[in-house]
Amino acid sequence: MINKYILVGIDGSSISDSLLQYAIWLAKSNGMTIKLLHTIEHSHNTENLHHEGNLTPNIRRELLKELSNEEREKSKKLLAKGKEILNSAKQSIIEAGLTDVVAKLRHGTLPEAIEDLSDEIALVMLGSKGKDHQNNESGLGFHLENAIKSTTTPVFIAKKEFTQPKKVMFAYNGSPTSKRALEMISQDTIYKEPLEIHIVSVSNDQELTKNLVTEAENILANSSATVIKKTLKGDTLQQLTNYQEKNKIDITAMGAFSHGKLHGFFFGSFTTKMIQQSDTNFLLIR
Amino acid sequence: MHINPILNNVWLKFLFLKWMWYKPRLIFTILIIMLLSPKTDWLGNIKGDILAGIVVALALIPEAIAFSVIAGVDPKVGLYASFAIAVMIAFVGGRAGMISAATAATALLMVTLVKQFGLQYLLAASVLAGVLQIVAGYLNLHKFMSFVSKSVMTGFLNALAILIFMAQLPELTDVTWQVYALVALGLGIIYLFPYVPYIGKILPSPLVNIISLTILAYYLKIDVRTINDMGDLPDTLPIFLWPDIPFTWETLKIIFPYSASIAIVGLLESLMTASVIDELTDTESDKKRECKGQGIANIGSGLIGGMAGCAMIGQSIINVKSGGRGRLSTLVAGVFLLVLVVFLSDILKIVPMAALVAVMIMVSIGTFSWSSIKELKTNPKNSSIVMIATVIVVVYTHNLAFGVFTGILIGSLFLAQKLSQFMYVKSNYTDENDTRTYHVVGQVFFNSSDKFISYFDFKEAVDKIVINVKRAHFYDITAVAALDKVVIKLRREGTDVTIVGLNSASETMLDKFAVHDNPDEIDKIMGGH
Repeated sequence: MINKYILVGIDGSSISDSLLQYAIWLAKSNGMTIKLLHTIEHSHNTENLHHEGNLTPNIRRELLKELSNEEREKSKKLLAKGKEILNSAKQSIIEAGLTDVVAKLRHGTLPEAIEDLSDEIALVMLGSKGKDHQNNESGLGFHLENAIKSTTTPVFIAKKEFTQPKKVMFAYNGSPTSKRALEMISQDTIYKEPLEIHIVSVSNDQELTKNLVTEAENILANSSATVIKKTLKGDTLQQLTNYQEKNKIDITAMGAFSHGKLHGFFFGSFTTKMIQQSDTNFLLIR
Repeated sequence: MHINPILNNVWLKFLFLKWMWYKPRLIFTILIIMLLSPKTDWLGNIKGDILAGIVVALALIPEAIAFSVIAGVDPKVGLYASFAIAVMIAFVGGRAGMISAATAATALLMVTLVKQFGLQYLLAASVLAGVLQIVAGYLNLHKFMSFVSKSVMTGFLNALAILIFMAQLPELTDVTWQVYALVALGLGIIYLFPYVPYIGKILPSPLVNIISLTILAYYLKIDVRTINDMGDLPDTLPIFLWPDIPFTWETLKIIFPYSASIAIVGLLESLMTASVIDELTDTESDKKRECKGQGIANIGSGLIGGMAGCAMIGQSIINVKSGGRGRLSTLVAGVFLLVLVVFLSDILKIVPMAALVAVMIMVSIGTFSWSSIKELKTNPKNSSIVMIATVIVVVYTHNLAFGVFTGILIGSLFLAQKLSQFMYVKSNYTDENDTRTYHVVGQVFFNSSDKFISYFDFKEAVDKIVINVKRAHFYDITAVAALDKVVIKLRREGTDVTIVGLNSASETMLDKFAVHDNPDEIDKIMGGH
């Protein structure tokens, strides 16, 4: 296996702690190394507003000095904080018994950082919302969608407090993306111990759904998972979230963002809606 | 048709509100654009942008009026232009947070056109300048900005500052002492008011200057010139109109030279300002989009009765200083400018010109690079000469483009001169076979080819001459011709001439080999031997 890192994006928010637990759980299972990532976002907006509106001699030079000093102070604070967050996360990983851990502090946005680091990464793990956007109405982090789209590796999204995951629901619709996703899971690279995988397919055409789940079962035939098949009728989103609740699903696995940009703009992304309305963690496969 | 001025104003305000009310689709579209664009573009800094936009708008009004005076048109032409350009560039520009409007640099180029042919030709020239700028954008001409050295840029800004100051001189000559007193008072307010505790940092001091001087002049009944003496202020909201000119070849011949100058100067100042803002805010801008955007804005300005403009270095710095970062600041500046002018046109009329002169002197002081005078002593002499030459040519021609071209030309000559110093020929003589070997090292090109020839001793009678050019770089056909000349001359004297290493030397003929950005190729040529 060439890809051997799990990239874990943390920012010191409450979800970061549970995310870290999931990362430890996965790393212990599949033997990969955790690579912690914290990004420092610069806004370049100034807080020292002066509205005197005049131009003094050598103003360009003085303004440059003032602005760069201000940003320097801000950056230094963010750097120190970032290091603190990374160090405490590192500490808890080592305490959990894993020896190998890498910590990365990068400037820029999360999607940028994921793209820059994507080389040796097998899995990206993120919290469903970041610290800066905790009050976001949709309940999703500002960068989450872009972050998921910035990588081709699977993305794990932590949404719940950590509990040992046992049940995985796989939403299967037969599309190329979801087929690829299932093949990936069947190889047991992400998680090695047997889980209970619920293959769920929703459509009003019962014939179709039956074929789909059987097809999915065949793909999973070689994996260690216990497979449970289920076909549902009705609205996809609603049926899936209902099923999650009823069966106490821990992780929802699905192919993500298979539609184009335009489709997403007009109809909203199914993946985003799904993440918003479910109370499970997610494993998204592109 | 005669309309009572007060009635007229009420009617105007009504029209404005009606216009705002009936444009929900426009406003909705704008909101959609804002929401869909990257957050740092529009909605990343709302409070800072709105406040900074207001500060900028307040300073834009006196400038727009002053630049109209420079161009010789009614103040409304500059005010319409500033509104149109600022609003449009907010959407189509390549540099968020940069302020574009009517400027001194472009206004100076219009003086003779307005004098000889009138306003309509200026409007047409503005539209054509915009078209040329869009073409320049598509041709990627912004890349030529890399030829503009730091010295040329400093020269440009210093020259601009001097021109802005000189444009104020008509307001300062043959006037009563009251004018001098008011200007001095205005400058005092502009520079000292910010030190007043609390309100000093909230109220823009140029505005305080205008209000104070207006009140002073009005209530003391000081007899000085006011904005009203300069021509018409906007009397309607801007309306779309084709310039009223004959669409003939003759017209094109008249306006084209002006449009070309305006387009070039406009792009120069805009791109320079963009890199200043890039540096100040530590962010990047899209220079190509800026070129095209300036073009669109100028076309729009010309079509609603405004003159051409470009980015303003002073206002853009004020915007950044006041906390403006996003496109919203530019939009607010343009819209607020129009609102103010429409609602306050009666008050604007009584503002004494002295208040505007004080603002323009402030802009001039702020644009001038004062440290460049101190650096004259410490900078390399060549850089200083380039800077001063740029300034002199601009001040003499009133055209910033000529200054920049002069600066680039002189700078290039200095570079060629310097490069030709990196060439020498050494020789050694071996007795046994009566051979002289010349080793050529360095850069051989048009400027060093005479020097190259002069190294050879044509009077020396030897059997064999070897010219080793392995460590030389032959840049152009002048260099190759010089080598030919040497060989032919030596052969005529009856000497056997061999050239060693010609292959590697001629590899440097950059015309033949496209080196481009391939580091391996560059290493092979420059560092390999």
